[in-house]
Amino acid sequence: MNTINLKKTAYALTLSLLTLSSAQVLADQAKHIEVNDPFTREMPPGSPATASFMTLKNNSDHAIKLVKASTQVSKKAELHTHTNDNGMMRMREVPFFEIPANGQTHLKPGGNHIMLISPVQPIQAGKTVSVTLIFEDGSKKEVTMPVKSVMNMDKNEDHSHHHHH
Amino acid sequence: MTHVQKIVNIGLLLFGALLLVCIFYLFIEPKQDSDKNSSPPPPAITSEKPMGGNFTLTAQDGQHSLSDFKGKLVLLYFGYTYCPDICPTDLGSLSMAYQRLTEEEKAQLQVLFVTVDPKRDTAERMAEYAQYFNANIIGLTGTEQEIATVTQQYGAVYFKPQQKNRENYTVDHSAFIYVIDQSGVLQTQLPHASPAEKIQHTIQTYLTQ
Repeated sequence: MNTINLKKTAYALTLSLLTLSSAQVLADQAKHIEVNDPFTREMPPGSPATASFMTLKNNSDHAIKLVKASTQVSKKAELHTHTNDNGMMRMREVPFFEIPANGQTHLKPGGNHIMLISPVQPIQAGKTVSVTLIFEDGSKKEVTMPVKSVMNMDKNEDHSHHHHH
Repeated sequence: MTHVQKIVNIGLLLFGALLLVCIFYLFIEPKQDSDKNSSPPPPAITSEKPMGGNFTLTAQDGQHSLSDFKGKLVLLYFGYTYCPDICPTDLGSLSMAYQRLTEEEKAQLQVLFVTVDPKRDTAERMAEYAQYFNANIIGLTGTEQEIATVTQQYGAVYFKPQQKNRENYTVDHSAFIYVIDQSGVLQTQLPHASPAEKIQHTIQTYLTQ
């Protein structure tokens, strides 16, 4: 209880101090980030969560950290990663995704993703979902993306590889 | 230096120090938290070839044994229906592979999805989830002991890490697709994130043998 209160105070203080000092650092990281091919995966029935995927491209000369995501479609949005530990798949929350200077970070199935936990309504193919990305400097970018079914993903992704033999 | 300048300087210094303390507290402290709660080491995946073998588990329409599917190629996958990313990824690829098969090939194949989370995954829930993937998948559950035995036979491992969310918990698990031939013998396993075309190719290879 004590720790939580302390933490809350520290948060509030940090926020207000950062706001005070932000007049000097007006770098808008969100402007340097380009979002490509975003989509959210359709939830299987009764699933308590689903995930959003996309490619984040950093057009600046400095690494940028995505530190948070928020959305109206689920109660919570968290940044998660998967590690493949000799075949054992472990999913964990991470504090940020770093997008390297002039580089890209891929959020994709089985790897980094934005987890949408406890959707307010079923997230079904055909709908669109909006997720707000929040960067280290507090700047934001809203991404609106289609919902795709797991069974149709290759129709968009590797169409050229098959069906044409 | 004037008196006013001195005060401003001291003020700025204090401001910086306070900011540093706050940032330090926010970013360093949570790390210690997670270290404290770190889980015991999970079971290891052995490199020995698993023995496989028969098993009997429960589906919505009753009991099914692997031996019921003699004459068919069986693909076996272990996961759970609350699985947020890994299982939908693999079952989605499996579904895409299935869609590309001919009707004749589909008739010679059975996909089984066995839960590693029998506490939450009832037979009804498994059936509803399996049906979503549209690949004639049978969802199977059992007692904790039955599941432990089957996973051991196939060298699959699962582990519930300590986590703050006790209801909506996740389970770490191995994510292989086990390929069992028409006589019930485990032939090979495909790793997690195998693309649909690889799964399709494997199915067709074992169907023509």
